[in-house]
Amino acid sequence: MTALLLAYSYDWSVIPRSAAFLERGLLVTIRIALLSVAFSLVLGLVVALIRMVPGPIGLIGFLYIQVFRALSLYVYILFIYFGIAAAIGLNLDPIPAGVVSLTLLNSAYMAEIYRSAIQAIDPGQREAARSLGLGGIGTFVNVVFPQAWRIALPSLVNQFTDIIKDSSVVALIGVPDLMYQTIERVSFYHRPFEFYTTVAGIYLVMVVIVAQLAARLERRLQRHLA
Amino acid sequence: MIALAYQFDWRVVTDRWPQFVAGAWVDLWVAVVGFSLACAIGLVNALLRTSGMRALSVPSFLYVQVMRGVPLYVMLVWIYFGVANITGITFTSFQAIIITLALTGSGYTTEIFRAGLSAIDRGQMEAARSIGLSRVHTYGHVVLPQAFRIVVPPLGNTFVGLLKGATIMAVIAVPDMVFLANELNVTLFTPFEVFAAVAGILVVLVLFFSALVYLLERRLRIV
Repeated sequence: MTALLLAYSYDWSVIPRSAAFLERGLLVTIRIALLSVAFSLVLGLVVALIRMVPGPIGLIGFLYIQVFRALSLYVYILFIYFGIAAAIGLNLDPIPAGVVSLTLLNSAYMAEIYRSAIQAIDPGQREAARSLGLGGIGTFVNVVFPQAWRIALPSLVNQFTDIIKDSSVVALIGVPDLMYQTIERVSFYHRPFEFYTTVAGIYLVMVVIVAQLAARLERRLQRHLA
Repeated sequence: MIALAYQFDWRVVTDRWPQFVAGAWVDLWVAVVGFSLACAIGLVNALLRTSGMRALSVPSFLYVQVMRGVPLYVMLVWIYFGVANITGITFTSFQAIIITLALTGSGYTTEIFRAGLSAIDRGQMEAARSIGLSRVHTYGHVVLPQAFRIVVPPLGNTFVGLLKGATIMAVIAVPDMVFLANELNVTLFTPFEVFAAVAGILVVLVLFFSALVYLLERRLRIV
């Protein structure tokens, strides 16, 4: 055993040999992350608007946010892919199940981001728009939302980094994403250190790129204020 | 056709309630230990980051980027399988998940402590120094107690995040509540009941801690 450990030598050549698999996985990861972010951007806004309606309707939005933020992605995936599938016969394929899970979780986070951004808009803006004769919807679409969007965008992009990272969990239900391909290659070559280090590096690069994008976007959107 | 014949059998959950509670307890204490370590690492790291010395602050910055940029699941298998393979240090699955939570969490806690420390007015430190307090006493009696109030709400959120993240430990066979649910699912085929139970327990735990953080935040508020 000791001899075996001492004899362990790094063999990074397995990585380029597996490049095609990793690339295929990476494309699936990117596709899942983009789909999830697109759906949660829309759903999050809807939930935020429901949340801000006074009375029992607003309460529904509140409960949605509380419950859907409280679950971990792993539990979501198990519940949606195995639990709901067995109980009501809604048999989602792994990729849709993963996207639905990511969307439910992240739409709740994004709803809170939207809400705080919309509430950050000075009430005077709304009042001024209304007194100029714009309707409720016109005020929101033309006056409030364009301003709130600028405030929300950097946080929303940061949420995108979380989606990228969380998406690695969908490998557990057999989505052929980057993590899944990596695990497959690990069991093929028995090189866990090399593969997991590489995949950590790939995720890190994706997250850093998106985070830099968010930072640049933030500066750009604040330019007119300076 | 099988799906149409699905019979709900909640006794699978109700009969094994103590096992679910025991499983949830594992998630909880692993999250608590991981979070405590993450706070300790984060505080030290934030002090390095705000030290003003580039030799200390640059590695600290890079550390945060890496810890926050690597997914929890990747970190877990990297520590449990990858590091063990290369160094010969084999962690138990409990150690692996705690180390993972501590490392990932410390990326977030560092940033929180840094923000808390830099929110304290410089005048406070200058005043403490000018009345003769040492650097250590200035931090211990003046800066940290004030920073503590600021960091409690975001730290609470980090804890909730780590508690949710802790459920991933089932993939390396730590017997937590998700692991139990998986076991019951494959033996009794009752996925809906067992995963609904797990989801329910997690919602209750997370909402409980969120409420606790909210109350603590209100108590600590000065004005």
